[in-house]
Order: sequence, then structure tokens, then C-alpha cells
Amino acid sequence: MRQFAIKFQPQDKKVSVPQGTDLLTAATKAGIILTAPCGGEGLCGKCRLIVKKGTVKSEYSNLISDADRKKGMVLACQAIVESDLEVNVPKESVEAHAHASHEAEDFTKGIVLERESAFIFSPFVRKIFIELERPTTDDNSSDLERIEKHLRAKIGGLHLSTRLANLKHLSEVIRDSDFKITAVLSYKDGFFEMLSVEPGDTTASNYAFAFDIGTTTVVGQLIDMNTKSILGTRIAFNKQASYGSDVITRIIYASQHEDGLGRLNSAILDNINEIVEDLVASCRVSMADVYAVVCAGNMTMMHLLLKIDPSNIRKAPYVPTVNAFPPVSASELSLEINPKGVAAFIPGVSTYLGGDIVAGLLACGIAESEETCLLVDIGTNGEVVLGNKDWMIGAAASAGPAFEGSGLSCGMKAVQGAIQKVAIDEDFNVQTWTIGELSPKGICGSGYIDILCQMLKRGIITKDGKIDRLKLSKRIRKTDTGYEFVVVFKGESGAEKDIAVHEDDIENLKRSKGAIYSAIIALLNKVGKSIDEVKRIYIAGGFGNYLNIENSIYIGLLPDIARSVYEFVGNSSLAGARMALLSHEAYEMTMRIYKNITYLDLSAEPNYMDEYIASLFFPHTDLGRFPSVRL
Amino acid sequence: MSIELIKEKCSAPINMVEIGGGGVGAAVRIGGQSCLPLLFEEGDCPNPPVVALEIADYQPDDWAESVRQAYGEAIKDPVAWAKACVGRFGAKILCVRLQGMHPDYGGRPADEAAEIVKAILAVTKVPLIVLGCGDDEIDNDSMPKVSQALKGHNCLLGTATQSNYKTLTATALADGHSLIAESPIDINIAKQVNILISDMGFDPKRIIMHPTTTSLGYGMEYVYSIMERGRLAAFIGDRMLAMPFVLFVGQEVWKTKEAKESVKTQGINWEIATAVSLVQAGADLLVMRHPDAAKAVERYIGIIMKGAKT
Repeated sequence: MRQFAIKFQPQDKKVSVPQGTDLLTAATKAGIILTAPCGGEGLCGKCRLIVKKGTVKSEYSNLISDADRKKGMVLACQAIVESDLEVNVPKESVEAHAHASHEAEDFTKGIVLERESAFIFSPFVRKIFIELERPTTDDNSSDLERIEKHLRAKIGGLHLSTRLANLKHLSEVIRDSDFKITAVLSYKDGFFEMLSVEPGDTTASNYAFAFDIGTTTVVGQLIDMNTKSILGTRIAFNKQASYGSDVITRIIYASQHEDGLGRLNSAILDNINEIVEDLVASCRVSMADVYAVVCAGNMTMMHLLLKIDPSNIRKAPYVPTVNAFPPVSASELSLEINPKGVAAFIPGVSTYLGGDIVAGLLACGIAESEETCLLVDIGTNGEVVLGNKDWMIGAAASAGPAFEGSGLSCGMKAVQGAIQKVAIDEDFNVQTWTIGELSPKGICGSGYIDILCQMLKRGIITKDGKIDRLKLSKRIRKTDTGYEFVVVFKGESGAEKDIAVHEDDIENLKRSKGAIYSAIIALLNKVGKSIDEVKRIYIAGGFGNYLNIENSIYIGLLPDIARSVYEFVGNSSLAGARMALLSHEAYEMTMRIYKNITYLDLSAEPNYMDEYIASLFFPHTDLGRFPSVRL
Repeated sequence: MSIELIKEKCSAPINMVEIGGGGVGAAVRIGGQSCLPLLFEEGDCPNPPVVALEIADYQPDDWAESVRQAYGEAIKDPVAWAKACVGRFGAKILCVRLQGMHPDYGGRPADEAAEIVKAILAVTKVPLIVLGCGDDEIDNDSMPKVSQALKGHNCLLGTATQSNYKTLTATALADGHSLIAESPIDINIAKQVNILISDMGFDPKRIIMHPTTTSLGYGMEYVYSIMERGRLAAFIGDRMLAMPFVLFVGQEVWKTKEAKESVKTQGINWEIATAVSLVQAGADLLVMRHPDAAKAVERYIGIIMKGAKT
């Protein structure tokens, strides 16, 4: 088959693809992640490219205006390569921040910190230094037995297994290092596996990664397994976004495209490996000293990461292939850590209640709590779990990624430069606070919550989330697609562009908050409890280090009860993964948690839809449920 | 041993709304009840449901033959038509649909439409329900002029929807009219529209809800149950659902195949049956098209209301 060369500008990247390849695939191959929320079906019109030289075969799309078409604009997913090409990539077609991972702070808070120290320290991978006696005619036990004997002296009741590969050069390693070696052990279902034998004493360098793999964002953290300290945290948008913004589109992509699963798998592996590389380099750690990765993520993400066919996840009765994924070796998974290292995964409850939630429950301790608690994880799916040590019930609401800053005109993740706190006065003067106190670049979830609340208070938007056209202010302006409110003008506090909230953004946020609130109510109704019976409510999510509970209640995202019940715990999925990494007790607990949760399918709940529609209002259609909110 | 049956008492009645009476003729009152329809032993029902006849500001050649025949020549002129409704058929309230303002129906300027409505008011002296042409942009432009021409006559203007309520609400507020708040067979949206309108400073006691009308055989049970839910919520104290209901029965019935193809009484019966069912669901104001059907429904209302405490 003929191969064609394609050059992408301004990235200046070249790639060679066979005739008949679509441009979306070609761009991905060149490492350019185009925005394609529909998964390359030609429906969303976001993956626009301008063909400067050469020819493509492209279906007519009414998503491209005649003027743009004359300029050579095509939808990448619908354009088939027919010659060598030179292609321009418009700025808006590139998924924001898709390439680089961003430095992030660790926002672990409150109860999670307390819980972290509650588990005994028994790291998932440990290094033990041993000085072996030299074999003699009297003591002629094998090299491995010799090692086992020493290890057993340090770890009582040890059962050890290892792989053939470790034995092939074992005698050499031992003798070259003058019988002083370090055994690298990983904990596995009640016994230890010797992952590797290193010459000399390497116990001082033992590192591992905890990962939270979300549909929209991926967060990784490098941990020093000796000191339990976090050396660095990185956050990136999930690269699978160019195959669809939600799990369903991605599952369809995986099952209907040639090597679809393979592509999604390499996308997420790229994400992980980039974060690993980045953190390892910036923390001056050797890749060879990283032996373990623990991942928490939703079911679809885990299936795609392990390249397990996810197609039944979206087909009734929605069954995943597996709940508790077995640990795998790093080389088997193509993880770029020490190839002898292992990756473990937090088990999931059901198709739509994954390991990220189980990790969150571990982090908040709901599974051991006497009192009835609630965990609300505000992510692409808004997952909610209610219960205590005796029972737990959970549900997933399709909230969408709005509170993660995705799918909004000026939305961004909670990283440096994101507006996370906002105040608007009576004259519509706006004051903003950004993460890292830098010039504002965009708005993250907690910023949007503040903005919505303030806009409601000042009457800039009505209770249905429409901007009041009768209000006169330079900040309220009409665009081609409706009205928007300008939070920061270009030039103000060093902003490089106008940062605004559009009515479509508000609509999006309204649906998200409605889905989450109504899921909470649906769970309470299911078990016949009132919100007043819930003693603790843990709010998790990628909000950065700030979430205004008061404002969240004001917009109707969270129930209107005593504020002291609430605790914001940050990214509890990542915290849970880290706990599992540092204590096998914690890891084993996840194996019990996932079995103890009843999953409530909201789509099968007759009243859920009604609850949801009622919550598409600020704060709620039933204003009586929010007595402390005065609009 | 005899068991005493429990009578359910409501904690808050439906709002009473007055239409018309602004110096010309008598006003019509609707709402004010504290019981479900037919359950007159559980509460009061001071105002029986009212039937309005619907007319248009253009010669409605697209209306069903049966309805046009009932009015004969009068239908050619809106004022004469209105006069016939009141004089010949005894209508106590009229609904004028200003469809003629729509470009597809001649694109009548707002000033002219206002003159027609004023003339109808002068001739008939009955309360008026005035509806726009259904195109948001045109209605937002024209209805303020029509409303102003009727200032002080306490008309019922329609219809305000979730996506287009501001202009009509501001107009009704300025000129002292009541307002129809429309929602798409959804109890939550019905309430949301009422809240949004009230948030503009409009008195919720001057809102009448249109929960969407359907005809017999076309999903009426959905409308029925939405009305019932709204009523039950109002009776336990939800003030944002305590508005009377208006139903556009004629408009829906006469576009069905069953009514349109009727040469004798099928269409009339269809309109009667739909209206009677909606009365049982809680309708307070029924806008109908065929005068014979309207008469029959009024007779039915008279019979069932005999037991009502007023």
C-alpha cells in the first residue's frame, strides 16, 4: 500500500501513513491530540484542520461553513489521506494542555491524612539488604535457599516465590557483589514475590507511583517508599480524549475501529509513562529504582489500561470483565519503570462504580465508620456512596466533566493559573484568586462554583441559569451563540485573553450539579433515610485545594445541612491508591470494600429522572429544600 | 362497628384569579378551590370551571370545517365572530388568538391587531384572553403594543414559556394583566416558570398555568397525571404550584384526524370528552372551539357542581 508523508504545522511534526488513513488517526500518530468529543464520528465538528497542500477525500459536512471550506478546512476524522499533505492545525482544534503534564500540589486533607498514618507501614514493594554467608562444604544450600533463610529471619512466616528470569543470573549477582545483595519483594495475596535481586545495598532508593486514572484527567504521584513522602505530583488530561470525551464513546471506538482498543490502550500508557518520566527526571530518581505502581480508576479506564475488551460495559446488563484486576508485571503492561516492577489495581464495585471510588472509601474510612457517612466524588461521573461499616450503597450519576473544567469555554484543570475563587460585588466588579497567585489562564471547578453563586446573588443570572439581558454592564455581552459574563478582561491582572462564563457553560454546570445532587437524594430515598441522618459528608474531586461548601450549597450542588458535617478531602482516589501502596493492610481492605457495596442503577430508578429535572434550577425547583439559601 | 372515613383536608387553596372587569362588563373568576374536582365534600369550590370560546384575528380557512360551519359568515370578521360567540352562543369569556401577526398568516402589524382586540372588547364587553402568534420574536415585538392598548382591562395574556417569558411578564406587569405560564407536560418546569416569573416581581396570584393540552387519544393521561400531581402539591402547601389551570382544548382536539374528518358530531363529541376529562383533572379554564361542544361542557359542569360548597 502506498505511504504518504504528512506534515503538521505549527507543530512541525511529520508522519508517514498508508493511503486511506484518516487525518485524525494521522495526527494522533504524529503526537498531536485533536479535540474530538464524538470519538471521530464526524458529529461534533471540533477536529478541524486546514489542508494547505495535497488532496484529501472528505465527506461534505454542514459543520463547516462554506467560507471555511474554501480555505481548505476539513474535519480530520472525515478526511482520508490521498496524497502527501501539508496541514495546518488551528489552535482551537488541539485539546488544551493535552501534551504536557502539569505540576500539581498534593491536596490531601483532613481525615485522609489521619487515616494514612492509621495503617501499619508495610509497603507494597520493599527492599531488604542481606549479607549472605559464603557456601561451604558444610553449608551447601542453594543460593536461593540462602536468601530465603535470611529473609525469613526478617519477615516471619515468609512464603517466597520468584521468576525464572531472576534465577538465571542470581549466582553471578551474588558473587559479583561479594555476597552483599538487596532483595526486592512485593506483597501478593499473603505471600511475597522476589521481584529482583540487586547487588549491594540499594535499600535507600525505593520509589513507587500512585495513579488516579480518570476519564478526563490523569494524576500521578511519585512516592519515596522509605520515608512515605510525596516527591511530586503531576496532572494531565487523559489522552484518550481524542477518541471521545466520555467512556461510552471510547468503548464504541474500542470495539468498532480496527485496533481501537490498542489505540486507547497506548493513549493512556503514554499518559502514565509521560508522567513517570517527567517526575522521575525532575525528582532526580532513577527509573530502575521504581518498582511499583498502584492505579485507581473507573472500570472502563482499568479495562482500557489492561487492554481488556470493554464492550460489555455499555451493553445491558452492563457487566465488566473483572472486578478485582490481578497485579501484572511492569514489562507486561509496557510501563516504563523497572521492567521487573509490578502494577496493582484497586478493585471496582460494578461497571459504573470503579476502583477510584473504592480507593476513596478507603481514604475516608467509611467502610469502618460506625456513623452513616456519604462520599461524593465529583468527577466525570459523579459517584456517591452512602453507608457505614455494616452496609454501603453507591450510585453513579453521569455528571459530565464540567467541574473538572472540561467542556467549558474557559475551563481548565485545577493547576497553576486557574481561577479557583471569585467574588463579585454589587456593581459587578470581579475579584479573582488563582492557584499559585499567577495571571489567570482559565477557570477551574471551584472557581465556577464561586462564579455561579455570586452571579445568582447579584442577579446576573436567573434561577434557570440565563444571563439577565436587562442588566447593563460592560461584563455582560452578546456573542454569536448567546450571552456571556466576562470574569476577567484581557489585560486585567495579566490575563492573555478574555475569561468569560457563557450561558452554555452555565447550562453544562447546571446539569452536572443537578445530576450529583439528585444522585445523593436517590440513594437516601432508596434506603429510607433523610439527609439529617448522615453524620459526615466527604467531598472529593479535582478541585485543587479549595472548595467553598457554602457556595456549593447555594447553587444546589450539595444538600443544605449543617456545614460542619462537610469535609472536603481533595483527590481521595489518589490518596487511596497511595495508602494501598504504603500498606498492604490498606490494599487488602479494598478487596473487602468492593464486595460490600450494593450498586444502585439510577437509570432503573423510576423517580430519578424526576428528581434530576427538579434539580435543574438554582438551587432547586423545590426551594424549600434549601432554607438557608436566600435569593 | 362503624368506621369513620377520613376526610382529607388541604392546607392551602388554589389561588383565585379574576379576569376582566376593568370597567367594561363583568369579571370572570376562576380557582380558589380547596378540594380536588368531584371531591366537593372535602373542601370548597367557590368557582366552577369556566369555558371560553376561541376566535382568531384572521379568516381561519385552516380550521376544521365543522367549527367554521357553526359560526357561518361571522367567521370572516373577528369582531363579528366575537359578537356571535357572546350574542348567539352565550360565551362569558373569549380567547383571541392573534395568529394573523405571523408572516405565514398575513403578517398583520401589531397596531392593527391591537385595534381588533380593542374593537372586540368594546363590542362584546366580556373578559379577554389574548394570545400571541407563537413566534417568540414577533410576539416579543407585538404583544407589548397589544397589551398597552388593553391597559387596565385585566386581560389574560399568553403565553410565557421557560425560554421566553421576560418580555411578556414585564408587559403584563406594566399594563395590569394576568399571565399564562406554559410548560411542556413537566411539573418541575411548570414550577420553574412560575418562580422565574415571580422573581421578576410579578404577583404569583396572577399567574395561570398551562401544563400543555393534549386531545383524547393522544396521550391525555400524561397531562392528566401532571395536573393531578400539581394540584396535590399545591394542596399540601406548594405556593409555586397553587395556580389555576388553563387548557387549550379546541386547539388540540380540532387538529386530530378524528375531529377533522368528522362530518356530523364526532369532532364535537371528541372536544366534549376531552374537556370533560380535563375538568376532572382539575382544569379551571377551558378554551374551546365548537360552540355546541362548549355548551355541552358547561351543562356537564353545571351538573357536577351542584354539590359544591362555594
